[in-house]
Amino acid sequence: MMRRWTVTLLAAFVALVTIAPLLWMVSVSFMAPGEAARFPPPLLPENATLENYRQLFGTYGALRFLANSLLVSTLATTLALLFTVPAGYAFAKLRFRGRDATFRLLVAALVVPAQIGMLPLFLELKAMGLVNSYAGALVPWLAGIFGIFLVRQYCLSIPDEMLEAARIDGAGEGAILRRIVLPVLTPIIVTLALFVFLSSWNDFMWPLIILADQRLYTLPVALAALSREHVQDNELMMAGAVVTTLPVLILFLALQRFYLNGLLAGSVKG
Amino acid sequence: MADLSIAAACKRFGETEVLRDVSIEVADGEFAVIVGPSGCGKSTLLRAVAGLEHLTSGRIRIGARDVTALPPSQRGIAMVFQSYALYPHLTAYENMAFGLRIAKAGRAEIDAAVRRAAAILSIESLLDRKPAALSGGQRQRVAIGRAIVRQPQLFLFDEPLSNLDADLRGRMRHEFAALHRTLGTTTLYVTHDQIEAMTLADRIVVLRDGRIEQAGAPRDLYARPDTLFVAQFLGTPQMTALPATMAEDGRARLAGGHAVALPPLAAPPPPGAAVTLGIRPEDVAIGATANALPFTIAFAERLGGLATLHLEGPGGVLTCQIRDDGSLNEGDAVPVTLPPARLHLFDAAGKRLRSVDE
Repeated sequence: MMRRWTVTLLAAFVALVTIAPLLWMVSVSFMAPGEAARFPPPLLPENATLENYRQLFGTYGALRFLANSLLVSTLATTLALLFTVPAGYAFAKLRFRGRDATFRLLVAALVVPAQIGMLPLFLELKAMGLVNSYAGALVPWLAGIFGIFLVRQYCLSIPDEMLEAARIDGAGEGAILRRIVLPVLTPIIVTLALFVFLSSWNDFMWPLIILADQRLYTLPVALAALSREHVQDNELMMAGAVVTTLPVLILFLALQRFYLNGLLAGSVKG
Repeated sequence: MADLSIAAACKRFGETEVLRDVSIEVADGEFAVIVGPSGCGKSTLLRAVAGLEHLTSGRIRIGARDVTALPPSQRGIAMVFQSYALYPHLTAYENMAFGLRIAKAGRAEIDAAVRRAAAILSIESLLDRKPAALSGGQRQRVAIGRAIVRQPQLFLFDEPLSNLDADLRGRMRHEFAALHRTLGTTTLYVTHDQIEAMTLADRIVVLRDGRIEQAGAPRDLYARPDTLFVAQFLGTPQMTALPATMAEDGRARLAGGHAVALPPLAAPPPPGAAVTLGIRPEDVAIGATANALPFTIAFAERLGGLATLHLEGPGGVLTCQIRDDGSLNEGDAVPVTLPPARLHLFDAAGKRLRSVDE
């Protein structure tokens, strides 16, 4: 009993430490300019105001950046699933020449940090005329090796006999993927979708490199540009941070059930 | 309905020969069981008939059609797998309907077929459940239902009972027999369990190392096994094999010099040749006679009504099954007679030596 209480208290403490900055971020976003810089910093706004949000959306046009981010992340997620899920399945379950060698090569490439690939990728895209376009911004997400790897590992646990039963039932490879494999893969697909959406939503470096036109900026890039102008303006920046964080937080909470399922899927057989 | 003909089937995986020149004919409506120890190639053979493996050489014909090059779905077969292989995200109903949905059958037709199969297997009340909510036996039934719905010309079963507990296995055996009577569909059934083979089969094919060891009616294989392997593979407890040598007088001499009278052989081996005497546990006669051999009870397994005695004596250990009245105990000396008409004789290579009246 004592031990359970200790664990609960410890967990509560860790949760508090984790969530405190987030809560303060929300709180500060409602404060008047300069209020958060006082000492000691106030926990709650004296006179809560929506001025920061008005400024963010009105003066700085954050709505456009929010829409840009949504567009890029949604496309990145959709396209990533479209390519990585069939690829992972094929690497796990279809027999073709060079399968294992190709897969080993891909896994080996995982150890190369993404930053190293950025310059060559940029030059490549420049030659293709994709710089300063969303097509260019989406390229790194199309066929993430990690995603392929994740799907493949999960697919390995699908019994061959199930696919053979479907083959005997007359299903072609496409129908097997659509009607048997995809439903079974639901947890891992949700997990992967969340993962890609979060990463592309939060991605800063690549959009910064590839997008030159300010109207194409995603939220993180736009916020960074904003913060250069408003270094002192904590309250406005926090409002921007709230706008950036909230959508993914909501998405995560909505899909949490599937996500946890996916993470546990490999550990318990049955 | 259709017959099945497998002609000179060979299958190689790299250097390993899994099937060597296997030819089997299964008549229309027959229940054929392929039996053999693990690794004998029986599952590979079944998968080749299903079209899930390609033969290295040989032909497979189902009914009038040569299906050797056809994909599984066009062979007119249905298969039940050892692991059931149900689709976990679909209900029992949808599992059974899947094939017809792929074939774009009408809603009414699908419903009629599924309900008919469900009625045969008495699983009408389970149709809304997903596989995870079914017991092993129920899953097995749904898997069989999925096969029935296809209305195949040929049923293929790959060790369908080996995942069930002993009690359920026994009951499902009866159901398989009943199902076959009801549907009358030609069936090829693979198992490593000789009891399933003996009880279910019209014809047993014993496979060993990718070759057919013997094929025939269960009774014939049991009574006249062609080889020592078949003799010992079928029947529990196992047939006893005692090493012996042929004597000048036409009898066989066990280790220790005891002579055993043999049935008249069609081609008796020369004196001095090594032979193996085989006798089934139920054929061993206990009691003092002129030719009785001195054995001692080393170990008795009492099953209630019956007892299996493991006897030690000339030539080795002899297994014997008797009605147990409690009068025989471990350590007792028992005189044993091996009735010549009941003896099976095998040469040094394990081939049956036929008697004159075979």
